[in-house]
Amino acid sequence: MLLDYIPVLALMAAAAGLALAFTLMSELLGPKRRSAEKQMPFECGNPSSGNPKRRFSVKFYPLAVLFLLLDIEAVFLYPWATIYRELSQGKGWMMLFGFAEMGLFIALLALALFYAWKKGALEWD
Amino acid sequence: MTPFQLVKPEELAYLLPELILVGTLIWSLLLELILRPRQSRFPVAGFTLLGLLAAAVADLRLLGEPARTLFSGMIVRDDFAIIFQLLAAFAAGLVVFASIWTREVSDQPTAGQGEYYLLILGATIGMFFLVAAQNLLMLYLSMELLSLPSYLLVAWPKRSRPATEAGIKYVVYGAGASCAMIYGISLLYGLSGSLELHDLNAYVAGLSDQTALPVATFLVALLLTLAGFLFKIAAFPLFQWAPDVYQGAPTPITAFLAVGSKAAGMGALLRFLYLGLCVRGSADLFTALGGLHWPMLIAVISALTMTAGNLIALAQTNAKRLLAYSSIAHAGYILMGIPLLSVAGLTAVIFYLAVYLVMNLGAFLSVIMLENQGLPPEIKNYRGLGARSPAIAIAFSVFLFSLTGIPPLGGFIGKFYLFAALIQGRLYWLAVVGVLNSVVSLYYYANIVRRMFLEKPLDETPVPASPMLRGLLAVLALITLALGLYWIPLYQLVEFAASTLGL
Repeated sequence: MLLDYIPVLALMAAAAGLALAFTLMSELLGPKRRSAEKQMPFECGNPSSGNPKRRFSVKFYPLAVLFLLLDIEAVFLYPWATIYRELSQGKGWMMLFGFAEMGLFIALLALALFYAWKKGALEWD
Repeated sequence: MTPFQLVKPEELAYLLPELILVGTLIWSLLLELILRPRQSRFPVAGFTLLGLLAAAVADLRLLGEPARTLFSGMIVRDDFAIIFQLLAAFAAGLVVFASIWTREVSDQPTAGQGEYYLLILGATIGMFFLVAAQNLLMLYLSMELLSLPSYLLVAWPKRSRPATEAGIKYVVYGAGASCAMIYGISLLYGLSGSLELHDLNAYVAGLSDQTALPVATFLVALLLTLAGFLFKIAAFPLFQWAPDVYQGAPTPITAFLAVGSKAAGMGALLRFLYLGLCVRGSADLFTALGGLHWPMLIAVISALTMTAGNLIALAQTNAKRLLAYSSIAHAGYILMGIPLLSVAGLTAVIFYLAVYLVMNLGAFLSVIMLENQGLPPEIKNYRGLGARSPAIAIAFSVFLFSLTGIPPLGGFIGKFYLFAALIQGRLYWLAVVGVLNSVVSLYYYANIVRRMFLEKPLDETPVPASPMLRGLLAVLALITLALGLYWIPLYQLVEFAASTLGL
């Protein structure tokens, strides 16, 4: 049972111990020469500039979310199409029910897309 | 596991309250589109209020009907869910109402003022489903539906650094708790082979001898799943987000999180524990399932939660932060009733939640009103408020004393039932911890009252307030007082709802 996993535990302990030992050894034994240059935050090798706490553009993000919206719509349309006949459960009017349900779903998604559009989510500038 | 069934159209009738809320959400979305950005605040807020009211009425009409399982066991409509949905609608309604006249919210330069109310509505729909969920997947999804709008609402004041910081902290912390929870749920699924709470119950109950329960695995699964709940109600190991988020968020949203989120999370936790891990025994008692003493675990979490909350609250100088720690302490008090596994304990828990809702909303409303008049929520600013604005100061004191649990206020009755249930259930040590904690809490609550009434004001100018908020404050103070004098109707309603859980 659980005892079978002892080797795994041993491996994890050994791996953690080894990593810890190497880190500690290089920290304790390695030569260090600190200079002002080395203490600077690293920014792609360039001298760092500007404040990191600023607003940044999320232009791609709304587009990605809107794409997801249509994606989800397609994901739900396929299973709906495959069980559309079963939805009726033998009754004719239930066919209409299944159709209305999907129509409602698509209408809601369209409304959401329209909302995003009106709010300017599709404007690039 | 019940086999998959196609949705029956007639089931939708029992989903009326949720459908009303969803409909309100969609129509307010349209309203927000049609109206000009600057105008959308009042119509959308008013429409939201109407929707919440309609949902509450629809809920009340379903009260007392036999419990009904909907959508292949995904959610259940029983009186327990209805009580919590009513609490959620009440909290959301008050927050929406207070938000209309809150400067912090209405003075934002943001274009879509109406979106704020849409988000509150979205979170409320999440709460409605959360307390009715009977399937772990549904429970998780509705918890996310509650969380995501909450993250946005916390960071609503766009250019405010504290609000943005609070938003980021809430998202990151919430994502972590959410991950832990879904992992725990996957383990529970692996163990029991089903996501339904009834099947989980049957699985654990079916293990006749206790050695058959893989206790270690089960404990890990339980702890991970609990993480999501404990995060939502801000209880012991996962409460560190609360002070920063409560302080940075706009005050109505702080109230919404401290009251609405907490009540909904507590409702889901109660259902998870009582329905999933209890069997109904003789008379009044549930029994915890074999080999696993989870009630003791909850008792310890409860004791640690209230002690941590109260001790850290002693050192606070900011009123919102103090109320945050106080709400952590109250999560501890509320949890006290769960390990009793009796209907009395369950009733006390829900009753205390209802009272807590009113008095805590009142306390936050007082802070909002003072903030509106340019008094930032530092306690030193409240000096001499008794002379400058007696109405607010008196109401604020009523809420603070009620939070402490002093008669003749609602908080006292709530605590009385909790302690009575504890004594009845012979959990004496937890009762002692609870009483000691209440004594400690008197210090910091009374400190605010002392500053308001016994210290000289900085300047003598009276603090005006909008008549709407004044009226709301008076109503809340009166309810708090009334619940301390005549609480039987509420108690009977809650007891009735509690007795339907797990039947």
